[in-house]
Amino acid sequence: MIKLAIYGKGGIGKSTCTANLAAAFATLGKRVIQIGCDPKADSTINILGGTPVMPVMDHMREHDEEPKTIEEISRSGFGGILCIETGGPTPGLGCAGRGIITTFSLLEELELFEKFKPDVVLYDVLGDVVCGGFAAPIREGYADKVLIVTSGEKMALYAANNISKAVKNFEDRSYAKVRGMILNRRSVENEEEKVRAFAESAGLDIVADIPRSADIIKYEDMGKTVIEGDPQCETSQRFFELARLLIREEEGR
Amino acid sequence: MKNVSTVIPCYAADTSGVCSALYELGGLTVVHDASGCNSTYSTHDEPRWYDKRSMIYISALTEMDAVMGNDEKLILDTVAAAADLRPEFITLCGSPMPMMTGFDYDAAAAEIEERSGIKCLPMHTNGTRSYIEGASEAFLAAVKAFAKEGPKVENGVAVLGATPLDFGLSGSIGSIRTWLGERGFETVSCLAVDSSFKDLERAALAKVSLVVSQSGLAAAKYLEKEFGIPYVCGVPYGKKYAERVERYLRWAMEDNETDWVDERSGRDFDTVVIGETVSAFSLCSALYWDLGIDAAVICPLPYEEGRLGRDLAMSAEEDIKAFLEECRPARVIADPLYRYVVPKDTRLTELPHFAFSGRCFGQRIPDLINKDIKEFFE
Repeated sequence: MIKLAIYGKGGIGKSTCTANLAAAFATLGKRVIQIGCDPKADSTINILGGTPVMPVMDHMREHDEEPKTIEEISRSGFGGILCIETGGPTPGLGCAGRGIITTFSLLEELELFEKFKPDVVLYDVLGDVVCGGFAAPIREGYADKVLIVTSGEKMALYAANNISKAVKNFEDRSYAKVRGMILNRRSVENEEEKVRAFAESAGLDIVADIPRSADIIKYEDMGKTVIEGDPQCETSQRFFELARLLIREEEGR
Repeated sequence: MKNVSTVIPCYAADTSGVCSALYELGGLTVVHDASGCNSTYSTHDEPRWYDKRSMIYISALTEMDAVMGNDEKLILDTVAAAADLRPEFITLCGSPMPMMTGFDYDAAAAEIEERSGIKCLPMHTNGTRSYIEGASEAFLAAVKAFAKEGPKVENGVAVLGATPLDFGLSGSIGSIRTWLGERGFETVSCLAVDSSFKDLERAALAKVSLVVSQSGLAAAKYLEKEFGIPYVCGVPYGKKYAERVERYLRWAMEDNETDWVDERSGRDFDTVVIGETVSAFSLCSALYWDLGIDAAVICPLPYEEGRLGRDLAMSAEEDIKAFLEECRPARVIADPLYRYVVPKDTRLTELPHFAFSGRCFGQRIPDLINKDIKEFFE
């Protein structure tokens, strides 16, 4: 099973990359689960035609009890991708990190993996590894590999460096390892050089180079991923290449 | 406000379940907490605390350690304590505060094990579940880690799920051993009252497991799956029912078949027993076989799916109260502290449960093993 956690600076395009990668895997015939780990709960919206799934924490808040079935907190979207959102507490209250852990425990109790039998699981995580809750997706049993989304912007690279260091802190534990970076271009001057220089200094690979494209916004406005909207376009092809690379690696393990 | 108890207490927590299950087995048990769980356990949930030594420790987690994620302090302290005390194994269990910070017990236990060279069992307790879940996880993990393959002992029985939380120090577990011995069985392992680390190692040498509480069921299922040992669920209360349990043990040994000794009439019940599932089912069966009383169970604690039949699973005080008000049984058999939800015209036969009322009525917990129960219940 391919289990990936996607991290990166806020607003850098993690959800866009995650959803498109999920759609690419699904198009290649894989059974995919995408779990949004962000209180905003918007990770999977473009897999679901623009209609969001009820987040787990919202379900708990509304019903004052845990869901009894996976169906209550998930929806199937493009390519049969099973979409789940952790959601979070009331903004400004509670603990969002703890919400992620609660959701993961619940998914374990509901035997999500045993029942759905996915080939690929993608965790789309809010920003940095800021506390135990946001490290939960990289713990043993969850993601094996981390992908960091970055552009050539200084703060995006700064965040990528922080995430990489945070993951390395857990080397003694059987946590996920950083597989590499997804360069999500923002038309920054000398963008490729900047990101390559950082990647080299941090000892990381650039595993995908996603061009800046109006197609992404165009199809997101329609509640779709680019993969669904135009699987032949260059942006889609980059996601397919990344998906194939990760499948090959998994098969070679 | 569902599940809020306003007049009855809650059952002992999962942390106490872990500590109670492992108390006598020679391990170092570390509760990751400031101190609250330790005092609750030692003063309320552990009747052996002042009379029998055990390596139960608290990590003394501070607010800053929790906020800063200072796991290293716990790991270093535990490794140092293990070096001094040389326990057979280490257990790391949790409480509400590390639960809130998302403490990773598996990873910390792996680090402790690597640095100390002593097996470390991570328990996923958080202080909010019942003692059954904690004791069950502890027994299962310990049996998985230490039960050794070997030639089966003829007529050997492993008693599983025995803790003072369910039986107090009434002598019931000793009586079960005596009763087994008198019937030609040998107690090869008892988990875990009047026990030691050897009982863990010998658990897989039995021909059959006798599960005396829900806390022992997960370990029994594991022993069945991994070592082909069938299990029988039942506490040999009363005289005639104890004979039924004996018969089931022999059948299990002969036919390798697992079963619950739950034999009651299908008639309407006039008596309700509230308590731990295996014990309560056994008591209902004993009431039927020994005294001809028809009883049903209210299970306020975890139970095995599909086992309830006409029994009811309800843990909310308001649900139990409403049910008893509507059903109006002639008699309720339960811990004395349930009197506040029992209708006035319903007779309450007090059967103290240590996991519910702690030391309050600890001296009054009866030993009903292989005894004439007529006097107690009539």
